[in-house]
Parts: sequence; structure tokens; C-alpha cells
Amino acid sequence: MADPIARSPIRPLEPSTILEGWEVSGARSQAPLTICDVTPLAKVTVRSDQDLFDVAYGRARRDEHGTLVVGSAPQEWLLVGSPGSAEVLTERVGDHGFTVVVDITHGRAMLRLTGAEAATMLAKVCAVDLGDHMAPNGAAFRAPVVAVVTDVIRDDQDSTPSYLLHCERSSGQYLFDALTDAGAEFGLGVDGFTARH
Amino acid sequence: MLLVPCPWCGPRNASDLRYVGETSRRPDPASVTPAEWRAYLYDHANPAGPTTETWYCRGCRRFFVAERDTVTNVFTSSRPPGRQNPEEPR
Amino acid sequence: MSSGSRRLTPQAVEVIDRANSVGFTFDGRSYSGHPGDSIVSALLASGVTVFSRSYKYHRPRGVLTAGFHDPGCMMQVGDEPNVRGSHRLVEDGMVVSSQNRWPSLRFDVAAANHAVGRFLTAGFYYKTFIKPQPLWPAYEKILSRFAPGGRMSADSVHGRYDHRFAHPDVVVAGGGPAGMLAALAAAEAGATVMLVEEEHALGGHLRYEPSQHKDLATIVGRVAGHPNIEVLTDSVVTGRYDDNWVAICQRNHPGVFERLIKARAKVLVVAAGLVERPYVFAGNDKPGVMLSTAVRRLINLWAVKPGERAVVLTANTTGDAAVEDLERAGVAIAAVVDGRRGHTVVRARGPKTGVKSVELADGSTVEADLVVTAVGWTAPTSLLNMAGDRPRYDPAAARFFACDLPANVLATGGITGDGTLDQLAEHAQAVGREAARRSLTTRRQWQAARPWAASPQPETDDVSPQAIPDLPRHPHPEMFRSTSHGIVDFSEDVSSKDLVAAVAEGFNSIELAKRYTTATMGPTQGKLETVNAVAVVAEAIDRTIEDVGTTVWRPPYAPITLGALGGRSHEPTRYSPMQSWHQANGAKPLVAGQWIRPDHYGDPEAEVRNVRENVGIIDVTPLGKLDLRGPDVSRLLEQVYVNRWAKLGVGGVRYGVMCAEDGVVLDDGVTGRLADDRYLMTTTSSGAGTVWEWVENWLQTEHPDWRVVVTPMTTSYASMNVAGPKVRTLLERIVEDIDLSPDAFGYMNVRQGRIAGVDCFMWRIGFTGELSYEIHVPAGYGLDVWEAILEAGADLGIGAFGVEAQRIMRLEKGHFIVGQDTDGLMQGFSAGIDWLIKLDKDDFAGKPELTWQSQRTGDVRVVALQPVDGTVVPLEASQIVDGSGAIMGRVTSSRMSPTLGRSICLGVVAENLATAGSVVTIRLPDGDLVKARVMEHHAHFDPEGTRLRG
Repeated sequence: MADPIARSPIRPLEPSTILEGWEVSGARSQAPLTICDVTPLAKVTVRSDQDLFDVAYGRARRDEHGTLVVGSAPQEWLLVGSPGSAEVLTERVGDHGFTVVVDITHGRAMLRLTGAEAATMLAKVCAVDLGDHMAPNGAAFRAPVVAVVTDVIRDDQDSTPSYLLHCERSSGQYLFDALTDAGAEFGLGVDGFTARH
Repeated sequence: MLLVPCPWCGPRNASDLRYVGETSRRPDPASVTPAEWRAYLYDHANPAGPTTETWYCRGCRRFFVAERDTVTNVFTSSRPPGRQNPEEPR
Repeated sequence: MSSGSRRLTPQAVEVIDRANSVGFTFDGRSYSGHPGDSIVSALLASGVTVFSRSYKYHRPRGVLTAGFHDPGCMMQVGDEPNVRGSHRLVEDGMVVSSQNRWPSLRFDVAAANHAVGRFLTAGFYYKTFIKPQPLWPAYEKILSRFAPGGRMSADSVHGRYDHRFAHPDVVVAGGGPAGMLAALAAAEAGATVMLVEEEHALGGHLRYEPSQHKDLATIVGRVAGHPNIEVLTDSVVTGRYDDNWVAICQRNHPGVFERLIKARAKVLVVAAGLVERPYVFAGNDKPGVMLSTAVRRLINLWAVKPGERAVVLTANTTGDAAVEDLERAGVAIAAVVDGRRGHTVVRARGPKTGVKSVELADGSTVEADLVVTAVGWTAPTSLLNMAGDRPRYDPAAARFFACDLPANVLATGGITGDGTLDQLAEHAQAVGREAARRSLTTRRQWQAARPWAASPQPETDDVSPQAIPDLPRHPHPEMFRSTSHGIVDFSEDVSSKDLVAAVAEGFNSIELAKRYTTATMGPTQGKLETVNAVAVVAEAIDRTIEDVGTTVWRPPYAPITLGALGGRSHEPTRYSPMQSWHQANGAKPLVAGQWIRPDHYGDPEAEVRNVRENVGIIDVTPLGKLDLRGPDVSRLLEQVYVNRWAKLGVGGVRYGVMCAEDGVVLDDGVTGRLADDRYLMTTTSSGAGTVWEWVENWLQTEHPDWRVVVTPMTTSYASMNVAGPKVRTLLERIVEDIDLSPDAFGYMNVRQGRIAGVDCFMWRIGFTGELSYEIHVPAGYGLDVWEAILEAGADLGIGAFGVEAQRIMRLEKGHFIVGQDTDGLMQGFSAGIDWLIKLDKDDFAGKPELTWQSQRTGDVRVVALQPVDGTVVPLEASQIVDGSGAIMGRVTSSRMSPTLGRSICLGVVAENLATAGSVVTIRLPDGDLVKARVMEHHAHFDPEGTRLRG
């Protein structure tokens, strides 16, 4: 039996290739504003009665392993790592008080929106203030985006504004379609997933 | 749209929350009379003025208790559920 | 109607581009204008003076205000109805037509209404068309012909409509001098500002004030150059809602028709200026009767001569300035009537389409084709009203003023008072600085309260409240109505006579008279007519304007299109990982809430037979799933389910029903124990969100001491139910690490292993009544596993089945669906789950109500029904009736059973009819009565469950 292939809920833009067991788009965009399906990233949620990670609710930062640690709710964190790293991430959490770790990699879709106009574009479909005063790099909150409950994480890339958008898997294609529609006026381009994500 | 002060998130659009209802205490099911139970289910004070109510924030997914004046729509405090004294946010 | 060109020689501050021309048609005739012309200025320059027929009497209407609120200039442009012709800029190729005329603007059949005007007075709709009721269809047909507004075709191609959210510190409504200066002051103090102006350019009344042109250009330049100010022209603040949620309709965004901006302003500054008030006198709606500001705009902005010979009624400096403009434009001044000296006009005479002469109060008659009135101002306090203010009338200034604003709303400009330009500037700048101070304080508070915000900047030293100077109020004569009667509401065609009649009929308050006559309820939304209406009513009931007060101005400030309100469609749609397979294999989509599911793949009854005979597979991914972990999960389960959970061992699965605190059935599903402290709860597809919040509510508010973590996992797993007598043979081929033998893996058990090389867990349950396994795999592998199962079962006759086949099979098995076979009033025992409800548990949600329900009789019961004539399938929701026709229940589910070859139902009946063997009567929608038998078991098929336990 061939190795099973994991698929994102978002149809990959051709050409598609296999990366770390995931079907991903090999498309590359040079547009100043891009959207990329980064669903293959490992996504692990941690709930604990202890203050783990030294990351408060509402904040996100990278730890020494390069894992993005998101304070996704009070006493709740979302860990985002490279594809296939869910088990490693889980082990690293360790044993502290009452702590529950759940791998939600397959249960969520994740998009990355990058570009100088990313906040302007998101402001069309998200009611939360994305200005630098109210949502600087490292901000994390949950709010409706095109009417889908979404974790919005500002994670700038080389000083270019960038947002990770994390939602229930089944809404992923809709979220992607609605965002590419809203982004048309900004010349939004679709970028394929690469290891650098 | 009303801004509702979530104790964890700060002011949020009311559409990010669900209004649960007036905050009430669940009677002990072992000893409750039908009249008491139905008062708990259905009898709401619905005052024109200050009221204590429960909200659910879909952002942080937390229930909380808020004091609001229904005439002015001004919130005077909000706090985690089950605690009597208003706390500092966060 | 055409009388040659009225275009003047170039004017100092005109906005038209004479070097270029644009061609367009109006009612089929070709016209030309210049870029910068409004539709109406271009037509007027070409000699057209009549632009529409009025709403009720179909009287010809011309220019009144030459601005945003011009009531007689609503037009059809292409297939866009109700365009403001005095505001919309003319474009090359525009196809414009007038509205409210049938069959033509020149000859309008409905103008005959004028002859029967006595039938169209106050409340004419109420009086004329109420009875006789059977005539309503005929009335509607006729009325729709006369209906105001333009037309749109269903297949018209429109530009896009869009939405945008914004979070400016300050929104300034109004881009006149006060609004601009307030915006600049706020921006310079560090606030971000959104400056909103309904015209196509900033400047307000200074735009047509040649002497102020230089000053204006300087201010506009500073505004344009300020990085903190976003300027929105051709845009309107249409409403102010709770906590300064401000709606702005923007028309100047490229690529979209209109865009609704939902702005959360920390402070709203209202600088809406003043709207010139028309004068009520006989003939005041004739083409050729205009406001002084209209004349000033036409001459100065568009270089259009508004008439040949004018009578000017002036009670203020704007009227005086209009006289100067007219003289400069070469219009003969037949008379200047000074309202400040108590002089006035009484009547405009002439044919329907224009003015020939004017009767003055001294009895003299002056020949003129133009009547210009400058009798005072209305403060458009809409936005202030929406913030809770009730403006108060000042008779000395003859207008209303705001008096009580919340802290996050400020006002400046003409709406607050008069004074020199310097005084207004000083006021506006103070308001701007104060707006910045208040908004930055709010910004810091929000930053401190929001955990994801940047740390607030420390307060600067200069944070004391700004002193806002008082503006003087210039005296103005009170001039509302002459000694004659005329039109008060030009949009709704309501005259002062109508208002007096309404008062005489007892509608003697302004709010009643308004609703009865519909005055102030048309497209101008009171801007032109409210104060005159108040004045006429006050006079009729012999009270002062202060006593009568104003009507409450509500959103919208100006009419807004449904397109702008709708924006782009945001209807979230959810798909399973196997969606592409369903699509490729002819699934008929079923919309189930947000989910798109396969209803069937062509023949649902064949799908049923295949499951009963061979094996089938259905995508059940939408099934709600909650991952529950922690030492106290079983306590939680005991709390939310009516049945018992403590003894469920690892590897076991149990069916449970939840009731709300009122005992009403809330949801049902199975929950399995995957490990000591790990459970997976399933819910109905539609109940997933509700149950999740319900469970969280118990944990957070009632039992914060319980250690349970809930994770929604609905689409973490691709879920598929494989069912049928051959399922075990099939699964044995592709399942690893699970012993599928009946002894090792019995009914209502859960096992973990691998299928088609993918980690999975599966449980044996039986919604279809067949031997079946519900398999859950990580969603990303769903499609691969689905296809692997189909491939492995090809020789066994496997086929996919959809929701419809599943519904038939569950009905054959008598399983109720929460929300279909139960309803929002049905308590647990009525659902027939007596065996499940454990009243001896200490507590569970809804226990008191269920205890009392168990002690009483007379409720309803869910029962299985079989029509005596098995060929009849009673429509769902058919009533069950007794001999007298009284309703005793209803059919909640019904299908033809392919397995039994007869119709089967579930229904709700009164308890006394619920005994097995009793026969009830079902009334079909066509009135026919059929008999049906109440069955012993809910299950019509295999009630002992031998198949699913096999």
C-alpha cells in the first residue's frame, strides 16, 4: 500500500507536489501581497493550570527551537512548528500540573497573509483593530474573519507585516476563497507552501 | 454596536459574544420546589437600570459576569464567573 | 422645455473642465456637459428645467437645492434607480431618465391626481385603499404604476458592493471649513482622523464663496497633506450607533459601486453644517423656485444661469450674496423682498412647468421666472439625535441646537452656532484638539485592556480638557410659512394643508402627524422639511415650536442602498475532506446548516438496499466531536447527560441524551472512552456548537473545580460509517492492529488501530440498523482512506450512500432526530427515552423538570406509526386529529421504506393515543384522512437489533 497522503482542505494551486507527506502547491508568487496555505504546519494546543511558556494570552513569540508559541486564550497556548513535528512539540511540553496537549494539525486550516497591505486587506473582513497600536507584531486574538471564527496571529516576516489565520479545517476552503476574493483589489497572489514556513 | 468589556480581551464588539442572560444561581436540584425552579428558568427581573448578566466571549471562550445599566448601556464592571468582587482585567 | 444654453462665461471658482465635454442622454435626447458637472447642472445648462414628477400629485419638479438633498432630481441612471441627479457627476455615455412619470415627463397621466387632489390629502392611503378588501390586488396594480422610485431589472449587472472596518480615533462628519479645521487640529494632536464629506470635494459653503477661495485652498491642501487624515468625499455618515459604531457609505472607492465602512470611532465630531430651509407658500414646488444656496452653487460652481428674471426673498446674508451672484450672472432682479423687514412672497404663478409671476404680500405682482428664497437654516442634527441628544429650539436664531451630548460626541460649525469665520475656526480647532485628547485617552484605555495591544504611550503633559469657546447665535427672523399653503415635504408631496388637516383629524402631535402624513419620511429624511412641519403643526395647535419639539431623527442620515448594506456575501460553507470525491461521483448536494453534504448519489432507495444487502459507506464528518480529557470527565458526562456514565470502561461506547434545564431534549449522540482520562463525545451535526458552549458553561460557571479540558475536534477527523452485512469481510482486508471478530470487538465498543495505513479509531454503533463501524481518521488522510475502503470493497458491492438513505434507514430503525422528531417544548420522557433517564442520579441538567414530568400524565409521546394503507406516505408535519377534528399530534418523519415495502412514520401524539395498536387519524395536506397504527416499538425493522449486533 502506498504511503497515505495528507491533504489540506484547500485545493492546491497547480503544480502540486508532496512535501513532508503533505500535498502542497508548488506555485510561487512575486506579488507584493500573498496568501499561502500553511496547513501542513504542526499545530498543537496546550491547556494547563500552570503558566507555561512565559507567553501571555494575546501574545505570540518564537521559542529557542523556532516554534511559534501563541497565547491563544487564558491558560491556553497554540504551538506551531514544522510539518510532522507534532509529537516532538507534545513531548517538549512535559509534565506540569494538570496539562492537556492535543494535536490539532488535521483539525485546523492555516493561512499566511503577507505584505505591506495585509492589514488594510484584512480590515475589509475582520472587525478587530489591526493598527500598530492595537495589534503590533506578536499580537494574537480570536475573532470572526469573513464570518469564520479565526485565530489571527501577527507574525511579521523580515519586517513585512504578516498574519497567520487559523480556523476550523472544514471552513478552510471557504476562508481561502473569501480572502482571495477580498484581496483581488490589492493584487493578492497565491504562494505555495515551502519549508521556510 | 455595543462594546462589551470582556475581562480577558478588553472591549469587544457585541457580535463577538453571546448574551447568556441575567446571572442567577442554580437552585439545589435535590430540594428545589417547582416554583423555585421555574423562577430560576423563566422569571427575569429585566430592570430598566443596573443589572448583572452573564456573557460568553467567543474570542477567549470564557463566560463572564458583567454589570450593565440597561438604560444607558454603560458597563460598570465585568469579572470572571462565580467571583463576587470585580477584579482587574487579565 | 429647452430654451437654449444657460451656460455662463467662466466663473472664478467653477468646478467644470471646459476643455472637455461629455455626452449623455436624458429621456432619450442627447445632451452634453463638462466633466465636473452634475447631471442636473449639465441639463440645466442645456435649458432643461423639469427633472421629475412629484411622488403623489405627479407635479413637475425642478431644482430646489442643487445639492445632495435635492428632492425633485432623483433619476434613473442606466439600471440604477434613485440617483441624486443634483449630486451625481455626469459621465460620458450615461443613459439618464426621469422617474415618476408615465407615460412621459411632458404628459403625465397621474398628474390627473391633482384634479382629484381631495382624495390624496393627509392619510390618503389609509382612507382610500383600505376597503373593500377584495379590491386590494387591483389597487396594488394601479399603485405600483404610480409608485415612486426607479426600476431595476433582475439581470442588471452592477458594480461590486463592499464592506470595510475602520478604527479611526476620530470621525469627522462634514468636510466644510469647521470639519476640516477640527480634523486638522485633531490630527496635529496625534489622533488618526477619518474626514467624511458628502460632496465631491471638501470645502462646504466656502466652495461657492469666491472671496474665500484662497483660504479654502490652503486648508484643503493642509488636510490632503496630513498623514493622519483619511479623506472620504462623495461619502456619507449614515448612522451613529452604540459606542460610536459609525456607518459610512463611501462612493468614491475605485472598483466598487458603494462601500459601507463600519467605523469604531473613539470620538465622533459632527460638523454637518446647515441645510437651507425652503419656504412654504403657494407654488413653492414649481420649477424655478429655488433656495439661495442653490442659486449660489449653480452660478459659482457650474456657471449655470438659473433664470432670466428673479424675485429674491432674503432674510439673511446668504440671500443677499445670492442677489449679487445673480446680478453678476446677468439675471434681472425683478424684486428683492426683505424678510428682515417683514416682507414676504405669497404665491408663485404660472404654468405647471414654471413660474411666470410672483404675488407679494403687499398685493403687487411681479413678473419673474425665478423665485429665490433665503428664509433660514435647519441644523441637521440627525447624528446628534442618534447619540441621544434632543435638540432644543431657539426662537431668536430660528433653529434647533444640540444641548446634551455624550462624552464621545462633539459638534462644531454651523450646527453649534454662528460667528465670523475666525470664530468658527477657533471653535473647530478647539473641538478638534478636545476630540484628540478624549480619543487618545480612550485609545490608551483600550490598549491597556486588550492583551494583544501595544503598551500604551505614557500620557503627555498637556492632557487637560480643552476649553471650547461658545459660538454666538445670530438673530434670524422666524419664517416658515407665508399666508398661503404650499409644499412642506417635497419628497413625499405633503403640503401644509395636509398637516393642518391631520391636526384637525386629531393627529395633533408632531410624531403622529408625521406618521399620518408621511412628512419627513422620504429620501431627504427631514433635512428640508422637518422644521417647517413642526412650525405648521405648532401653528395649527396654537403652540410654540419649542413646545412641539422636533421629531426623533433616526438612522439613516441619508438613504442607503441595499447593496451597500449587504456588501459582499459572507456565508461560510463547510466541506468534508471527501468533498472532491462526492462532487466527482454525482452527489446531489444537501445544504445542512453551513455544511454541504451528499444527499444521495442518484438513487437513495437503491443505496438503502445496498446497505441492507451488501455494504455501504457514508461520510459523517459533520458529526460534532468534542475531545474530553482530564480526571473529571465522567463527572461532566453525568452532569450533562440524562443517563449513567460512571461505569463506562476504556474501550466502551454509550449512547446518551442531553436535556436542557427545562427538561427539553437538547442533543444526543454517542461518547466513547478512548483511554482512562480521554473521551470522545459526538453530537448531532447541527448541535455541535451549542453542545460545546453548553459543556463549557457547566465547567466554567458551575464546576470550575472539575479538571476537564474540552477541545472541539469535529473536523480533526474524517468520519465515515461503513455498514452492511459484508462490512466485516471488507474491513478485515485493510484494518491492522484491531481484532474485528465479534467477541473481541462487540457492539458499542471502540478500538484504535490502523486502516489503509492510517491511524484510526472506530466504534461499532448502529444508526442504520446494520452491522456497522464508524471510522475516524485524521482529516488530512480522509480522502485516501475513503478511496481505499471503496477499492477494497469493490468486489463486495460497496457503494456510497448519502444523507437521504441514512435518514430512511434510521427511520426504519425508529431513531428520532433531535429537532425534527422532537421540538423546543418536548421534555425527555415524551421522546420515549424512559429507559435512559436515571432519576436516581444525584444531579444532571434538567433533572427537576424530568422528575416532575415522570409524575404527571397528559404530555405527548413520540411513537412509530404505520399507515394502514402502506402506499400512502403522509407528508411530514401532517396533523393527527381526533373525531372532532381537534389536533392530537403530528407526523414528524415519514418515508417509503424500501426494506419493508410500505410507508413508515414517526410522530408525536397525545399520551392517551400512544398505546401500541391504537389507530389514529392523519389529516393530509389536501384534507384527506388516513388511518395509521401506533406500533409497539419505535423500530419498524429488526426491533431486536440482531443485525447490528451480528
